[in-house]
Amino acid sequence: MDLYPIANAESVVAQAREGDAAALEALFRAFEVPVYNLARRICRTTEDAEDVVQETFFEVCRSIGRYRQDGSLWGWVRTIAASKALMRLRRNKYRDTDELHDEVMEHKREDTALRMDLEAALERLGETSRAVVWLHDVEGYTHDEIATMMGKTASFSKSQLARAHVRLRLWLGEEALG
Amino acid sequence: MTHLTMEQLLELREPGVEPGTAGRRTHLEQCDTCRLELDRVEQRAARLRALPTLRPPRDQWPRVAARVNTVRRQRRIRWMTAGAMALAASLALALLVPRPAPAPAATAPAEQLSSLQQRSRALEAAIGAYGADTRVLDGRTSRVAADLEDRIADLDQQLERTELAAPPGTGAADLMQLWQERVGLLDALVDVHVTRASNVGL
Repeated sequence: MDLYPIANAESVVAQAREGDAAALEALFRAFEVPVYNLARRICRTTEDAEDVVQETFFEVCRSIGRYRQDGSLWGWVRTIAASKALMRLRRNKYRDTDELHDEVMEHKREDTALRMDLEAALERLGETSRAVVWLHDVEGYTHDEIATMMGKTASFSKSQLARAHVRLRLWLGEEALG
Repeated sequence: MTHLTMEQLLELREPGVEPGTAGRRTHLEQCDTCRLELDRVEQRAARLRALPTLRPPRDQWPRVAARVNTVRRQRRIRWMTAGAMALAASLALALLVPRPAPAPAATAPAEQLSSLQQRSRALEAAIGAYGADTRVLDGRTSRVAADLEDRIADLDQQLERTELAAPPGTGAADLMQLWQERVGLLDALVDVHVTRASNVGL
């Protein structure tokens, strides 16, 4: 079942394939929020996330003819969005800042432990780790799928996820056990 | 006791049995600390999934639509130019060669349609040979030309839909009307470019 169902999906897709502007806009309206959310969780800034939204839907409009209706429409759009977001990270070559924040966060731990803070901790993760943790733990992609999208290995994805969880644990004020 | 690393714990969440995980699973069953750590990972992931959805601050559709339209227009112009280049016609030749003659009154609809299509191709070739996409136009002329190109693009979409929707041998009247409109628009586009060229003495 599609997470974000669209009314009359088959007819909308058929019309979009013919270049119908209203149908293309209907696709945009159906998925703009989840695409933005995914993009914003992966990218550092609102502007980058907005660019990803534009690039994603431009690609959707251009490639709707290649969408095979055997899979979920949202799944197809989401994979385009994830690829565009990862491409944006590579293009911007964001500096992974989690190490820089470690020390600061140690001091802030009491504040962040007031529960603000999974959101803040996520924001402070390095770009790659944050992308992996979001794609794996929230969007449900496998390590193999993430590796393909990132042009890396599954082992790389696994180690980034582990690294993210260790840091989140630390920043959320959870003591390491054992 | 040596506890499992975060990476080893995370591997135990993955579907399927990875080589080497049997021993780790046994350890997990016996180790409260590792089980608690894995629970915390699961809880963290659940909290991540429960984070509020972030919403776009601005409507991005106008930008997407504008970009899609721009690319369509560029593609159309490239297509028209490529067709003209195949004819290897020069600007002077394009201006000297008389306009394609109006479609003769054909007796059968199929012949009329074919005649309109030929005339449409000839007009496109003339525009392409003139090099319309590489010429500098004043603002007003440019707007008129762009408007005509947009209308031709819309018409092309209608033509495509009509041709796809109509079973072979049907829909001839609709097609004829659309092709006539297309020829009319192309004629107007030729006028825009040729008149402008005459005005500047080219």
